[in-house]
Amino acid sequence: METIQYAIRKLLYSIPLLFGVTLIAFTLMVYFGPDLTYSLLGKSATPEQIESVRKQLGYDQPFLERYLMFLKEVVTFDFGNSISTGEKVSSILARTVPVSFAVALPAFIISNVLGVGLALIAAYHRGKLWDKSVMVFAVVGMSMSYLMIVIAFQVIFSTSYGLNWFPVQGWVDPIPDYIDAGFFETIYYYWYYYWLYVTVPTLTSIFVSLGYNTRFFRAVIVEEMNRDYVRTAKAYGIGNGRIMVKHVLKNAMIPIITRIIISLPFVIIAGNLVLENFFGIPGVGLVTYDAITNGDLPVVKAVVTWTAIIYVFALILTDIAYKLIDPRVSFTK
Amino acid sequence: MKTLIARKVRPRPALITLGIALAALSLCSCKPPFSDRDDIHEVFRFSEAGAPITMDPAQASTAYENNMVTSIYDQLYDYKYLARPYALKPRLATGMPEISDDGLVYTFQIQQGVYYADDPCFPDGKGREVTVHDFIYSMKRQFDPAMLPRGEWLWRGKIKGLDAWKAAGSDYDQDVPGLQALDDYTLQITLNQPFPQLVYTLTMGYSSFVPRESIEYYGREAGLNPVGSGPFQLESFTTQRAVLSRNPNYREEYFDLAYEGYAPETQGWAGLEKLQGKRLPAMDRVEVYFMSESMTRWNSLNKGTEIHFGGIPTELTHMVASQLSPLKLRPDYADRFTGMSAPDFGFVYMAFNMADPRIGHHEDPEQDRRNLLLRKAIRAGFDWEQRNRTFYNGLGQFFPGIIPPSLDAYDPDLPHTLGTADLAQARAYLQEGGWTAENLPRLEYGATANVTNNQMFEQFRGWMERIGYPREKVVLRTFATFGDYNRAIRDQEVMLIPIGWGMDYPDSQNVLQLYYGPNQSPGSNLSNYDNPEFNRLFEKTKVMLPGPERTALYRQMNEILLRDVPTISGMVRTSPFIWHRNVIFYPSESPHGSLLKYAYISPKTAEEAQH
Repeated sequence: METIQYAIRKLLYSIPLLFGVTLIAFTLMVYFGPDLTYSLLGKSATPEQIESVRKQLGYDQPFLERYLMFLKEVVTFDFGNSISTGEKVSSILARTVPVSFAVALPAFIISNVLGVGLALIAAYHRGKLWDKSVMVFAVVGMSMSYLMIVIAFQVIFSTSYGLNWFPVQGWVDPIPDYIDAGFFETIYYYWYYYWLYVTVPTLTSIFVSLGYNTRFFRAVIVEEMNRDYVRTAKAYGIGNGRIMVKHVLKNAMIPIITRIIISLPFVIIAGNLVLENFFGIPGVGLVTYDAITNGDLPVVKAVVTWTAIIYVFALILTDIAYKLIDPRVSFTK
Repeated sequence: MKTLIARKVRPRPALITLGIALAALSLCSCKPPFSDRDDIHEVFRFSEAGAPITMDPAQASTAYENNMVTSIYDQLYDYKYLARPYALKPRLATGMPEISDDGLVYTFQIQQGVYYADDPCFPDGKGREVTVHDFIYSMKRQFDPAMLPRGEWLWRGKIKGLDAWKAAGSDYDQDVPGLQALDDYTLQITLNQPFPQLVYTLTMGYSSFVPRESIEYYGREAGLNPVGSGPFQLESFTTQRAVLSRNPNYREEYFDLAYEGYAPETQGWAGLEKLQGKRLPAMDRVEVYFMSESMTRWNSLNKGTEIHFGGIPTELTHMVASQLSPLKLRPDYADRFTGMSAPDFGFVYMAFNMADPRIGHHEDPEQDRRNLLLRKAIRAGFDWEQRNRTFYNGLGQFFPGIIPPSLDAYDPDLPHTLGTADLAQARAYLQEGGWTAENLPRLEYGATANVTNNQMFEQFRGWMERIGYPREKVVLRTFATFGDYNRAIRDQEVMLIPIGWGMDYPDSQNVLQLYYGPNQSPGSNLSNYDNPEFNRLFEKTKVMLPGPERTALYRQMNEILLRDVPTISGMVRTSPFIWHRNVIFYPSESPHGSLLKYAYISPKTAEEAQH
């Protein structure tokens, strides 16, 4: 009950946050975003046409009026249609967000689990060969250009210059109409093609994020290992493995969980422009990028709003996770 | 104890890594699902460097969009696939139009028994017959501001009553005197004044036959749900790929090599004979991949099992080809690919903003004269050859003036020396105009913010320094997006405008209108050049039929532009394309619409299959 009350309270407190986010985003879009007018006109426009298009885009309306319209869209969750394609924004997001999520999820899980594991090893062997090896690997991963890693992984795993195990680009197609697939065949089909297309992007993402995760998690764990209770536990004769996993890791979980949950919104909705572009994945990252560069306000507004909302939920989830991990945490003032 | 701990902790990530590796390996060794039940039809996988945003003929304006639109929709006319110079052929029309003696009334007959693809927008989902009413509806859409049309400028002021129809509120139930259906298959277009380029415009995606039902049924999403009578129908579409399948209702059309303008001496290498007599579209299914990353495109093409057609990335050209024009592939690649270097049907140039008194027209005749000398000096310092070598693989083709070599009025006798820098001449112009480092105006070079544009600017600044321009007086003015750049140009705010022009049809009128005074920004005359002599000649030629007299006047206008220097022009870019050896295709960066219906994958011979 206490948790529910807290969540409701937190949701109410987040309204000003949402208000602020929408206001900042909208101001940036209106005053610094691209002007779509000329993209919607032919090669030789007349002043009347320009005026007409500007009117249709709502550019002629006062800022406050446009912002209030935006707020109405936020409240009703109806962002209308994309100016560029005419497609309903909700359809665009429904089509692309799950794809981006499906691409990001394995890498998100694996890089965090591996990161924690490597951080435990490095922290336990602090200053020794294992620690140095892990840290060198982490620094190398962090130092290399993301673009270079994407190209290198694509060449290594997907091309005839390398192993040629996976497709260069593409995404899972629905089962063709001419195939009458059974239930298990359908599952196998999607499982097979999902991993076929997602493996190289996943390996790329893991390579890129593992270094950051490991370094952060190691620092947290090392700090925790210096606490008195660790020495006490050792004095009690508790095994080192038990100390590391059950005590140190558990107590280090608050910053770790914070980092993981806070990055969730980006996994869920932001997509990954570079991966989507290089691996031909029809996700939301590319849609958002195009919307920003083309000045497609309805799409940008929807992505900004949903990111902010998911972010608020992630914050609430983080607080709830704190309480689950550490019973001393209280939601009451 | 430490060892014990290490053992307890270490295996977890290792196991996970092993798990991923096993999962990955299992994919490599598993048989793909339904591989024994694959469709018998082969698929042609085409690639493009950009993606279409809409497939609504009223709005589709980019080359990528036009490719989709002309694959799905029919127009009255088309260009012959292989004929060079480009030659028109009827598409939905039964023949060339009957034209009245005064050149004002065009009468077209269209084929009977042509049907739209089946679609839910029609009663019972069955595609209905195409009639000329669909063309009239489509043309009206171009003049309906609510449709955000982009092709209106082609016919603005030209078709009798169409502009008035727009001014009266674009009521689709109101007739347009200049667009009359004499019956379901006979269309009559009446012009306000002769418009010899009319038939060319009727090859463009903007003039597609669009069924009103589809626009009303799909509303704002019509651009993603195209319903046409062309060779293909859209099966699926994402930002990364469009899948086109044969339109089952497509009429019988067979490929005729001779009719399409085949020239064995120049095109014999392409294996086009295999297409002879084939029913079009030659493939049941075409997948168009939108790949902006040139390396991804290349990797996919080179893999051999993904896309069939693509370009060679600039950074790999020397690895893949021993010669670029004509294209000669290195042996490793020649075994698997064939290809050609195809010139753009357009060009790049740098316009001066003539509305800017610092460099363009000036009220004071003396200052006007000095500005002309300044423009001449900048042109003399501009080194197209170096730009070609640095940015276009040396494949670009320089041409003086504004009429490129692919157009009728191109004059090969014009001095090509303008393509190389002449520093002494440039300095002489500056001296003649009394320009010194102190009084030279600041040059503002506009561009969208990206690495290539930055490099081009630095090159330009280097050239200007060589002619005596102080470095700090040559500045880059960047814009975040092309939309912003375009707006600034149309608002006459950019001084030096490096830009490209994609031609719409093979008639020099299409490029000369870029300098016609009344077309000044926000129109297509980005230079804001306004010369009464040029304007008079343009007005005279725009109603003239093709012929030696018109060609002579076109060339005269071109020479005026060379004299007045409102632009530094220009270069036709050429790109190398390659495709798998078993693919029969002849790409063209031309006024052609989609060529996808001609793409054909020839079956493997028994020997190849065994291999």
